[in-house]
Parts: sequence; C-alpha cells; structure tokens
Amino acid sequence: MWYKIIEIREWFGEMAERYRLVKDFNRAAKNAFISGNAPTLLEAKITRGDSSYRHNFSKWMGGGFRIKALSGRPLPKHELIEIGRVVLDNEELTRRMISLGWDTLEVHANEGYLGAKWALKDFANIGGFLN
Amino acid sequence: MRQIMTIIQNESLVKESIANSNSIITSIWFWISLVEFLIIIFFIIKLLKKKNNLAFSDLSKEQLKKAQSTNVDMDNLMNSINGSKELYKTLSKTCHPDRFINSDKQNLAENIFQEISKNKRNYNKLIALKQRAINELNINL
Repeated sequence: MWYKIIEIREWFGEMAERYRLVKDFNRAAKNAFISGNAPTLLEAKITRGDSSYRHNFSKWMGGGFRIKALSGRPLPKHELIEIGRVVLDNEELTRRMISLGWDTLEVHANEGYLGAKWALKDFANIGGFLN
Repeated sequence: MRQIMTIIQNESLVKESIANSNSIITSIWFWISLVEFLIIIFFIIKLLKKKNNLAFSDLSKEQLKKAQSTNVDMDNLMNSINGSKELYKTLSKTCHPDRFINSDKQNLAENIFQEISKNKRNYNKLIALKQRAINELNINL
C-alpha cells in the first residue's frame, strides 16, 4: 500500500519535473530573444513522439519534445539539424530528457513543411547515461 | 378434464424449452467472456514482453533518479544554439596547430584545438577556451 502511494507521488513529481524543464527552456529562449542574442524565438512543447523510438521510460502519449522555431520563414534543413544537435550534444540535458520519459526530439519552424527528429536513445551512450 | 391435462402438459413443455434455451444462452456468454479474457491476458503478456525488450530496461531506479537530478543550464543552451557555430569557426581557425608548427606552443595548440573540437557546441566551454587561447597562445581575438 505504502509502496503504491510512493509510486503515485513519484509519478506526480516526474510530471512536474517535465513541465518545469519545458518552462525553463521557454523562459531561456524568451530571454535570449528579448536580449537580442537569438534571432528567432524558440518554443518547446510536449507531443506524442514517435512510437518506434520508444524506450523503457517513455511516457505514454508524451514522449516527444518538440522545439518550434518561430522564425516566420521556412528554416533550411541544416539550421534545424544544428538546433537539434546542440540539444543532443548537451550530455546533461539528453540524460535528463530520457530519464523524464522523452524519447523523441523534434525540431521544426512555424513556416514550411521541413522538420527533423531524432531518437534520444541513440544519443544516450554519448551522454554517458549507461555509465 | 382431458383438455386440462393437455394444457398442463403444454405448459410443462414450454417451461422445459425456456430452461433449455436459458442454459444455452448462458453457456454462449460464458464462452465469449472466456475468449475475451484470454485475449486480454495475451495482450498483457505481449505488452510486458515488449517493455522488457525496450532500450534501458536494465537500468536501475537509482541510476534513473541520478540522471533526473542533474542540472541543466538553459541559458548556456540558448547561447550554444545561437552563437557556438560562429565562435567555433573563429577559434578553430585561430588556434589551429598548423599555425604553431616548429614552435614551443605547438603541443599546447594541439591540446586546445582538441578541446575546441570536443566542445564544438558548448558556448560556455568555448568562451573559456577562447580565454585560455588568449592567455596561453598570445592570440589576438
């Protein structure tokens, strides 16, 4: 019984942590845009993700971390890939995203049809998650 | 009297047939529910098996909690998205070991260049390396 209560508490804690991470990302993106460091405003939100990228900690219907660039123009593929690679090269962030139940990283602009997505589990070894 | 007897017989026949049909209906529903139950069990087993085959199924809860508790510098991430590419280009050009061939700073330049390549997309680390290059390699940036 106590075990179940602790599990439920952990689940709520994890969900709060997930929303905190998204909120932190959006706050930092907004500050960078306002201060003039970033030419485009980035916005993160939780999506369904790709079911083929699932891992053991994937959240049901919430495995996708989508970054939308509010650029007002279609971004070329290399720019989308650059944004994604910066996130994936950040060891702590990749590790944290996997542990909080994300399995897919998606990047796209608010204009155009191009987008890029990565399976986070492929970058876990680089992030030192298994060690 | 005879008519009464036939009526009673008919009544008993009707009762019997109703009882028979009821048992048939209950048995059909019993089998349907049993099949449904087996299908549910099959899917639960399949789901559990699939979960065990997924990546990171061998990780313990402690390792997971440790990963969750790491701090992420989001401001550095934003700076890395927007400014690391330019900074990397500048640093990789100015600190390239080929520029220090046959000098006492060649090893140092190689070391710094390796660090720069390693932290290609980490703005804070690139800034620290830039400072190191200015101090140790005497480069004007």
